[in-house]
Amino acid sequence: MSTLETEPRSRGLGERIRSDPEPATVWAGACLLLLSVQFGAVFQTVRALFPGGAVGSYVPAFVGAPVAAAGEFVGSLPTLLTRDVIPNQGYRLPGQGWQETFLGLEPAVAWLVRVALIYVYSLAWLALLWWGYRIFRSEYRAADWTPMDDKVARFRSHYWGISGVVVVFFFVVMAVFAPAMGPTTVERNIQEPFSYEVSYFDEEAGSVATETVGTANFESGSSGTPEENVGPLSYDDYGRFHPIGTLPKGNDMFTFMAAGARISLSIALLSIGISVLIGVGLAVFTAYYKGLSDLVAVIASDSVQAIPQLLLLILLASLLRGTWLGSLYNGAAVLTIIFAATNWPYLWRAIRGPALQIAENEWIDASRSFGQRPRRIMQKHMVPYVTGYMLIYASLSIGGIIISVAGLSYLGLGISAPTPEWGRAVRMGQDYVTTASWHISLIPGVMIVLLVTAFNAFGDGVRDALDPQAETEEDAEIATAGGSGA
Amino acid sequence: MSRLKYLGKRLLLSIPVVLFGTSITFVLLRMGPIDPAAAILGGQQTQGGNYEQVRQQLGLHRPLWEQYIDFMVDLFTLKLGQSWVIAQGTPVSELLAQYAPRTLWLGFWSVIVALVIGIPLGFYAGLNPNSWSDYFASFGGIVWRAMPNFWLAVIMVSLISQSQKFGFDWQNWVVSTQVVTPPSLNNLTDPMEFLAALKMVLPAALVLGSASMGNEMRIGRTAVLETKNANYVEVAKAKGAPGRLIVWKHVFRNALIPLIPIISGEAFLLIGGSVLVETVFAINGLGYLFFQAAVNGDLPLVGSLMFVFIVLLVSVNILQDVLYTLVDPRVGYEGEGQ
Repeated sequence: MSTLETEPRSRGLGERIRSDPEPATVWAGACLLLLSVQFGAVFQTVRALFPGGAVGSYVPAFVGAPVAAAGEFVGSLPTLLTRDVIPNQGYRLPGQGWQETFLGLEPAVAWLVRVALIYVYSLAWLALLWWGYRIFRSEYRAADWTPMDDKVARFRSHYWGISGVVVVFFFVVMAVFAPAMGPTTVERNIQEPFSYEVSYFDEEAGSVATETVGTANFESGSSGTPEENVGPLSYDDYGRFHPIGTLPKGNDMFTFMAAGARISLSIALLSIGISVLIGVGLAVFTAYYKGLSDLVAVIASDSVQAIPQLLLLILLASLLRGTWLGSLYNGAAVLTIIFAATNWPYLWRAIRGPALQIAENEWIDASRSFGQRPRRIMQKHMVPYVTGYMLIYASLSIGGIIISVAGLSYLGLGISAPTPEWGRAVRMGQDYVTTASWHISLIPGVMIVLLVTAFNAFGDGVRDALDPQAETEEDAEIATAGGSGA
Repeated sequence: MSRLKYLGKRLLLSIPVVLFGTSITFVLLRMGPIDPAAAILGGQQTQGGNYEQVRQQLGLHRPLWEQYIDFMVDLFTLKLGQSWVIAQGTPVSELLAQYAPRTLWLGFWSVIVALVIGIPLGFYAGLNPNSWSDYFASFGGIVWRAMPNFWLAVIMVSLISQSQKFGFDWQNWVVSTQVVTPPSLNNLTDPMEFLAALKMVLPAALVLGSASMGNEMRIGRTAVLETKNANYVEVAKAKGAPGRLIVWKHVFRNALIPLIPIISGEAFLLIGGSVLVETVFAINGLGYLFFQAAVNGDLPLVGSLMFVFIVLLVSVNILQDVLYTLVDPRVGYEGEGQ
């Protein structure tokens, strides 16, 4: 009782931090330090999120000009992990080694240094977040122990789940740092190759010559025969390094895949986020009120589930091709909406049982009799118990979304053409699978398998961590994990 | 609640589901940003006599609610209309009769292939738990399940059409067939024709069944592990029943129960997945028809096909629930029952 008096439960986190600010300040300082080296990139990304031109044309000039100026300024801020700081493109002069690359290193090594730095930087963030959680746990949390601690501990010893996290982390970093990750950029190499130039050492002329990227690409495509092939870990005739080879038209495949990871993961994570919100909201609502609301939700979810998801995607993607909605974010917006609108029934179904069980508990009755409002009861006493289950099923259905997005772009639908998407790489390389250019189709598929397996492993880990004795609801799990059959 | 009553309730619940699903289709087709008449004429043509004529014939000039009622009444009385672009003037029912057999053939074999490979592997892994072969089978199943069908299909097509390079001649193995052509189903009573049709659909069936195969393996393994330690198996062992009998009579039969929803759930995967697999293997079945109709703007055909698929899926769902109660009478008819 005495502890309750000295440390009343009503004291908020903010107050606890104010009373002992030191660990939090140190931690926040470390965060700022880590953020500062990438300041420019963060702002660039935020700015790029708004569709190009849309902001400029609708905002009056007196607002627009300062915004643009601020953008210019932010763009000039130093950023550690860019290709400007660690360039990997250059040419080799005979006897003098590589020019214009980072420290005169070979392009492959320069690129590797940049990628390694990016991963080190991201790992530093991961460590920082973990450290922050530990500080919160030891210094600022009111309770010494919560059931959550056991779950975290169980997950930490679940090696299959951990390996899933590692692979997911690998891909997420690749997606987040996509522009800095590739040996070249999407704009330079894929979208407008004829507006950029590449310098190389022309052996016949014996001097440094320049060529447009488009022409250079034309010469370095991978189209089956050993002579016309730039495989993984090799250079093309222009001294450009290709970590996983080139596409049939000569575009760098790693750049393509990194940008594709960005699109796939944003669609998957965003749409599953929306589905989770709908699913959790509906689950606690129907579990609390039961009766008619539950019946309506059953019918609604059954109806959505009765429409074959992949067919609906194909239909909408082809119907909306060319309309403003269809071209928003290169078609990603429509896909996100459709996935969000069609995936919630699976998630809701999966946690309907647990939610109903929770609604039966005495504490729900108790808080009702105290006069607590239904909204608060649902938020405070029901949602925390179903979010764990949600995490399991969400991570299991992410795989289905990633596969479906790739399947659609394989069919030429969904993400519009020059924008990189994994499925399109499979399509481009499908005639070369058994030839020297096997990498074009094979690598995207292997990457999808890796990523999907990793998400499944993560889901397994979370499930075992939440409730080691749980008889898993394999039906629901498989219904969610099965995806749409792409 | 009796079984009959349960069935009745299930059927009653399915009516609003089909109604609602079809309504969503209507909303997408008629109220979306695309003008069906313009889509049929291809491109952005929104004027002229031709356009007006198509509008008239589709009934687009009438109020939306009238169109809606017409749309629903037509579909529910099985007047499926006709195709406008793909096969102009051909009734949808005729198209269904033409395209459906190939999809059914493919679907049938993909279920069979998945069962024949997945379940024995799962049972084998379950009977030898924590051995290397178990790890191999389990891990293989996990990875196999995560493979995108379309990618697997692309790899498969390339490998078997170039199989001479690897010292194996798939095309001329047993019966001579081609890889990327639809199977001919005209003469299935003739053994050679039957073999040819089977051989042509086998790679596609393996791909289409891949996800289910992984699931069946996993479920089979868990089920065997669970039943293996059940009391009745212990009793049978104590009585001195031979190992083979225990496996077949006690373990196998009970392990089959959780597999039912997986097998019936395959219907969902088959209908969606058939689009991609049929496209890669050039089997012109229902999925391929739907894809062509959607891409070419044949909206009336798309609407009718969607209705057929919805009815199909809902019936499979009901069938699954009924089967479930038949096999395992403990499955609740009330409360938690879906």
